[in-house]
Amino acid sequence: MKIDIFKYKSTLIGIFNLLLVVLVFSSCEKVVNIDLNSKDPQIVIEGNINDQPGPYTIKLTNTANFDELNNFPSVSGASVIISDDFGNSETLTETSAGIYSTSTIQGTIGRTYTLKVTANGKEYSAVSKMSSSVILDTLTIVTEQTPKGSNKTIYVNFIDPIGVDNYYRFIKIINGVTQKSIYVEDDLLKDGEAINQPLFARGQDETKLKPGYNVTIVMQSVDKNVYDYFRTLLQLSSSGLINQSASPANPLSNISNGALGYFNACSVTSKTIIVQ
Amino acid sequence: MKHFLKITLSILLVSQIVSAQTKYTISGFVRDAKTGEELIGASILIKEMPAIGTTTNAYGFYSISIPEGTYNIISQFIGFDLQNKQLKLNGNTVQNFTLSEKATKLEEIVVAAEKKDENITKNLMSVEKINIQEIKNIPVIFGEKDILKTIQLLPGVKSAGEGNSGFYIRGGAADQNLILLDEAIVYNASHLLGFFSVFNADAIKDVTLYKGGQPAEYGGRLSSVLDIKTKDGNDKQYGVEGGLGLISSRLKIDGPIVKDKGSFTINGRRSYADLFLKLAKDSAMRQRKLYFYDFNAKVNYRINEKNRIFLSGYFGKDILGFGDQMGIDWGNKTGTLRWNHVVSSKLFSNTSLIFSNYDYNINTRLAGTDGEIVSRIQDYNIKQDFQYFSNTKSKFKFGLNSIYHKIIPGAIITKSDSSISELNLKHKQALENAIYFTHELKPSGIFSFEYGIRFTSFSTLGAGDFYTYNSLGETIDTASYTKGEFVTTYYNIEPRFSANFILNEKSSIKAAYGRNTQNLHLLSNSTSGNPTDLWIPSSNNVKPEIADQISMGYFRNFKNNAFEFSTEVYYKYLQNQIDYKDGAELRFNENAESQLLFGTGRAYGIELFLKKKYGRFNGWVGYTFAKTEKKIAGINKGEYYPAKQDRTHDISIVGIYELSKKLTVSATWVFYTGNAVTFPSGKYEVAGQLVNYYTERNGYRMPTYHRLDLGLTWQRKKTEKFESSWNFSLYNAYGRENAYTITFQEDPNDPTKTQAVQTTLFRWVPSITYNFKF
Repeated sequence: MKIDIFKYKSTLIGIFNLLLVVLVFSSCEKVVNIDLNSKDPQIVIEGNINDQPGPYTIKLTNTANFDELNNFPSVSGASVIISDDFGNSETLTETSAGIYSTSTIQGTIGRTYTLKVTANGKEYSAVSKMSSSVILDTLTIVTEQTPKGSNKTIYVNFIDPIGVDNYYRFIKIINGVTQKSIYVEDDLLKDGEAINQPLFARGQDETKLKPGYNVTIVMQSVDKNVYDYFRTLLQLSSSGLINQSASPANPLSNISNGALGYFNACSVTSKTIIVQ
Repeated sequence: MKHFLKITLSILLVSQIVSAQTKYTISGFVRDAKTGEELIGASILIKEMPAIGTTTNAYGFYSISIPEGTYNIISQFIGFDLQNKQLKLNGNTVQNFTLSEKATKLEEIVVAAEKKDENITKNLMSVEKINIQEIKNIPVIFGEKDILKTIQLLPGVKSAGEGNSGFYIRGGAADQNLILLDEAIVYNASHLLGFFSVFNADAIKDVTLYKGGQPAEYGGRLSSVLDIKTKDGNDKQYGVEGGLGLISSRLKIDGPIVKDKGSFTINGRRSYADLFLKLAKDSAMRQRKLYFYDFNAKVNYRINEKNRIFLSGYFGKDILGFGDQMGIDWGNKTGTLRWNHVVSSKLFSNTSLIFSNYDYNINTRLAGTDGEIVSRIQDYNIKQDFQYFSNTKSKFKFGLNSIYHKIIPGAIITKSDSSISELNLKHKQALENAIYFTHELKPSGIFSFEYGIRFTSFSTLGAGDFYTYNSLGETIDTASYTKGEFVTTYYNIEPRFSANFILNEKSSIKAAYGRNTQNLHLLSNSTSGNPTDLWIPSSNNVKPEIADQISMGYFRNFKNNAFEFSTEVYYKYLQNQIDYKDGAELRFNENAESQLLFGTGRAYGIELFLKKKYGRFNGWVGYTFAKTEKKIAGINKGEYYPAKQDRTHDISIVGIYELSKKLTVSATWVFYTGNAVTFPSGKYEVAGQLVNYYTERNGYRMPTYHRLDLGLTWQRKKTEKFESSWNFSLYNAYGRENAYTITFQEDPNDPTKTQAVQTTLFRWVPSITYNFKF
């Protein structure tokens, strides 16, 4: 049984970092030059399909060496096919460099989707099942007084369906800007319950909530492999100084043959609130 | 059990008959004249029989059997004046010694009879005895003399990181060290995430570190044994001793309960960095809590010369908090009740009842997350040890030990309005039993050896469901057990052997082999150990870790034993080693065992050590070349890769110089290769995030580390009634920016670029401590 204790973990990380700040009166940071090995570029596949009307896109890029700029070469001329277990299949067309779009296929809850990518003579495949939709009932905003002043946190409220394993991913959009913070949840310890879940702001990744701001939360019902992908991606990106993993590794991908990234077939609901 | 005793006793009997002559036994205790404390490892020599000698055991007891005659029996101990007693031996005799501390601190002439060549003549190799007096003068961070920091300056012992009291021995991980405080296992030896150790140096009498060739009476960890024994307290007069420092202060009180029969000692320590926070302008800062405290207490009573009882305990806690809103505390508790019994002049017995406990608590009181997390590991331990001093050539040790372990991996307790769910991970129980037998034999003046065997069993007990996992970490089988039912039992036989061959007066060669097994494993996947790391017992999924170590050494003394040189080589082969799957989720996971990978490991190296023990200038130079690798299916394509504690070169230099009777200066310099570490080999973008691309585990090295520390001890007053001194130290004297961590991130000034950022913890940490004693 695994419990979601992200908020506890973030508390922990907070405390450890706090300890360092206090204790380490003379700690300092500086930018250093580290000679990192160059590796052959690896393909990064980012694929989404959901129960909303299409088109859906698959994005193909390559990794870059660490000392290069952050513009990642797109992978063009690949063959990209999405099919489902009802015999539907579509070859995607490259609409712009590295972006492949569907035109006919429609995401349907309960179907299992297969992605096949052939690029540079290598074949990659991934499978994802589109879970039943769970309704996001309401959003609430709670204001808390912390030692650092008042702090607004958004809460999502929904009823978890009983008797099935559910995995959720939340995307936070503030004033039209998608935030980088990753939120994933499972229901292993609260199956069938009414869930009232805070989506705490994570550090500098996020705009601070202020009255008048428009906040949209997109709730995805994802399958276990996609959940594991985002859970391990979060692990990689959220580690603090002390809590840093001794053996960081690439997130657990559901794509074969060593490709990075994910293929996510999910159902989606969303809600918007204006901060008071 | 009965069987075992019978066999042992008959072996003893046979050896008795073989050596039957009209021999009589001299036995007794060696004590400090001023305090009445028993001296551990004091030498007993017979002037008329220079080849024969012995040392006192852990309770200051010795026994030696020699033919009828008149003898000069000499007892001596480092830092004490020797004592000579003339004795007419015509029957078993009790002869106690009370040694007085040397009047002058400076040692002048080498006394002829003094046994300064123990490192040559003693059978033990890979063993370090730490002299508490010596520790006082070595500069350490925050000016607090510290055993764990000092042992890290010895070859073969590596620090787990900047200012960290964790240590790695001969390639072993931090959890592979058996740390004993008065025989009780200490599960977390760190205060403040390792910047202090839990051992208050004022309370400690004796520290022995076994890096290999552990005698069979020790077991349960793969790499090493750090055996720490506390002081009994002065049984002649009351005393107060203490120190005031910038970060922490300590106080010790000891004295007699009944003069010459029983004594007590109480030691307390508290850090007060948080008191400074109260002065901060920022109200958030003022609300932070950050301190630790600990107590050591011990009482003992000598019922008569044959029976003595000791009761000792340790209690310590670290507290970190943020107002009343959230906090974490953790700490150890240990308790030991001992009964020493001199069964006969040749047979010494010790019975111990030991309790140890480590726990942590996290609580939050933020709206909606009201709750508490608790986790605990507890041991109930009974131990019986015998020492039989057969004759001058042979000595036996045997005994048994049984430990009941109880682990609460984690429970979440919440208030009704909390958004967190209650959770109580399955409690784990285990029973660990051991019997051992060791025979120390000295067939001739130049050759001695010790062989022993330890037989252990480890059982995981119900109640609960036990899962079996396949290689993907999926549950393939569930078995239910009732309370107290045996789930799995592992039996292990651990042979131990060591030998010493004296080449000449100045040199000897030694060799040792030993197998050790470990049934409690620490799951820790962070760079520096966290108080929330989890211990798990061997189970149906996790097999006992096994290490076989072979080591050889050459020991040589120069200039009338003023210099000691030694070199040791070792090779270790490890089985059932643990590492973690990519993205392993270890905390609050009922299936934590499914996140593990298993494989083998190997470690080898060479250690060089040159020490000057006596004179106004003393100190040492240590160098280690080492390699530690693991081979685990699923990591780095199943090939050998460096373990995170792998470090190629490690140098420590320690120098202490007595400028005058009042002033002592000291310096230490350390240099080591950076640890093996995982760095990204590239980067990419996914879900709007910049992500590092990893291609191999531990494929890189942290930058080379080096540091100089300086210390100065200024003795202000020293009379019979009152002593005081000032201690000044400067950590990292030339302000080297050593890397604590290196993180790879987006350049905050230019989002099109990435950068590597190095964090340095300490540059120039000065400290002052005032010490007093009356």
